[in-house]
Amino acid sequence: MPWKYIRVVITLLLLVSSPVQAQTLIAHPEQEQSQLSRTSLRAMFAMRLTQWPDGTPVRVFVLKDNDPIHIQFCKSVLGMFPYQLRKIWDRQVFSGTGIEPTVLDSEQEMLSRVAKTKGAIGYLENNSIDDSVKQLRTTL
Amino acid sequence: MRYALFIFILCCSNHLQADESTWSERLQIHGFASQAYINTSHNNFFGDSEDGSFEFTELGLNGSFQLSPKIRLASQVLSRRAGELDNGSPYIDYALVDIDLLSTARSTTGLYLGRVKNPIGLYNQTRDVAHTREGILLPQVIYFDTIRELLISSDGLHAYHHMYLDSGTLLMQAGLGYPITNKNVEYAFMGQDWNGKVGNDRLGFFGQLRYEYNGGRWIYSLSHANVTIDFKAGPQDTIPFPAGPGLNSGEIEVDYTVLSIQYNGKKWQLTAEAALEKVEFVEISDNFSEQSGRPFGYFIQANYLFTPRWQGFIRYEEWQRDRDDWDADEAAQRSLESSQLLSSFGIDQPPFPAHTNYSKAWVIGGRWDIKPNLMLRAEYHITDGTSSLPARENNIALSEKHWNMLAISLSYRF
Repeated sequence: MPWKYIRVVITLLLLVSSPVQAQTLIAHPEQEQSQLSRTSLRAMFAMRLTQWPDGTPVRVFVLKDNDPIHIQFCKSVLGMFPYQLRKIWDRQVFSGTGIEPTVLDSEQEMLSRVAKTKGAIGYLENNSIDDSVKQLRTTL
Repeated sequence: MRYALFIFILCCSNHLQADESTWSERLQIHGFASQAYINTSHNNFFGDSEDGSFEFTELGLNGSFQLSPKIRLASQVLSRRAGELDNGSPYIDYALVDIDLLSTARSTTGLYLGRVKNPIGLYNQTRDVAHTREGILLPQVIYFDTIRELLISSDGLHAYHHMYLDSGTLLMQAGLGYPITNKNVEYAFMGQDWNGKVGNDRLGFFGQLRYEYNGGRWIYSLSHANVTIDFKAGPQDTIPFPAGPGLNSGEIEVDYTVLSIQYNGKKWQLTAEAALEKVEFVEISDNFSEQSGRPFGYFIQANYLFTPRWQGFIRYEEWQRDRDDWDADEAAQRSLESSQLLSSFGIDQPPFPAHTNYSKAWVIGGRWDIKPNLMLRAEYHITDGTSSLPARENNIALSEKHWNMLAISLSYRF
């Protein structure tokens, strides 16, 4: 089965050479939660779960649909394609049954808005996060 | 009174500060604009399309305002021009209060009160928003533009319950409301504008069960709608046959069930939907009662993403007026006999050939997202049968069996 070995080698090469940084969830510094399940995360980013367990309204921040960080976050953290989230948001926005998240232009804006907004949740690459926000762990 | 208002505003502003949310966070405004060009080889679809028609324009503006953490207001105004079917005058598409009754990490339960979009199939709730459709025209075998008003929204109360399970999300919605009836509905079910009129005195039922497995990789949905249209015959309608049409006041009962399945992959998206209908004419006339039946419609569509901005699709769609009379040989025979009977009384009504009772079409199309908010589309329909044609724009009995349609559209959203 040479093909099987070739695939393993290709996968390993991709893993080693991958320049993509890990995506980390960030929240407002006073957020009590320190971890979230993928199920809760999907519900929050779909704008369906609108409150934190303590009752604070969830404020979701995302980068643009075609931003590489957004695409990578959707795939690796949510396990979804960006167009699936867009379809969910559109269905809600244009039928009056819900809203879409606040779309931001840059990573700097993501950091400052999440740091300032109570109930905020967003994401960034590891190397652009500082102490102004709280990092959240995801559990599967 | 002024003091009360002042205190109220003060309380609201205090409340705003306490919640630390600004107006910009509570208010969302969105909208869309789309213009299409339609050209048909024969028959008319949305205007004088044999010569090329620009009479398909969709404009919408909506707002959502979070009044409090548990209460949200939302409304959309829509203007739609679609040949003889819609003249573009703006109307309220939906206007509702969304009340969040109970929210936990595992579920949300709430109510929509007001004019609510009916969840039917995967597309009905946002059917007028080009960016949310998988083509310029939704499959006319399930999302009939000739009767869109009847099923699009209803004035009443819907309850919803969403469950966030580890395997996926289960979304349930069910409600009661008064459907919207108008001339298009009269034409679609009764073939013409009669002296009397159709009304909506009876509450309709609308419900959907939708399961999004693994973040929506697979979507399964079961929708059901049940509406009754009243027909109040006018003085000229009740003149007995053969001097008049001899109609009575009565009802049209419409029962509509849609099954949907969709796969959302990285490059491929596959969608299939089927609609089982039951239409029953009660007491209007023997002739109409004979048209009671069990229509069946379905489509299957494959979309492929060539690049993030270029997409293509192919679709097959079919509709049959009566599951028990596939391709309508019996209906055509009945229509022929009825036409002969009428002509013996000196009334000229050409018979409706079999092909007016079904529609089978292949559709291919492409989409180019010029910018995230701006989209250009083109599609080509090769159609056998004319059941999807609007009776307001065509003399259906004389419609051409085989016809093709080219559509091009430019759509913007924000």
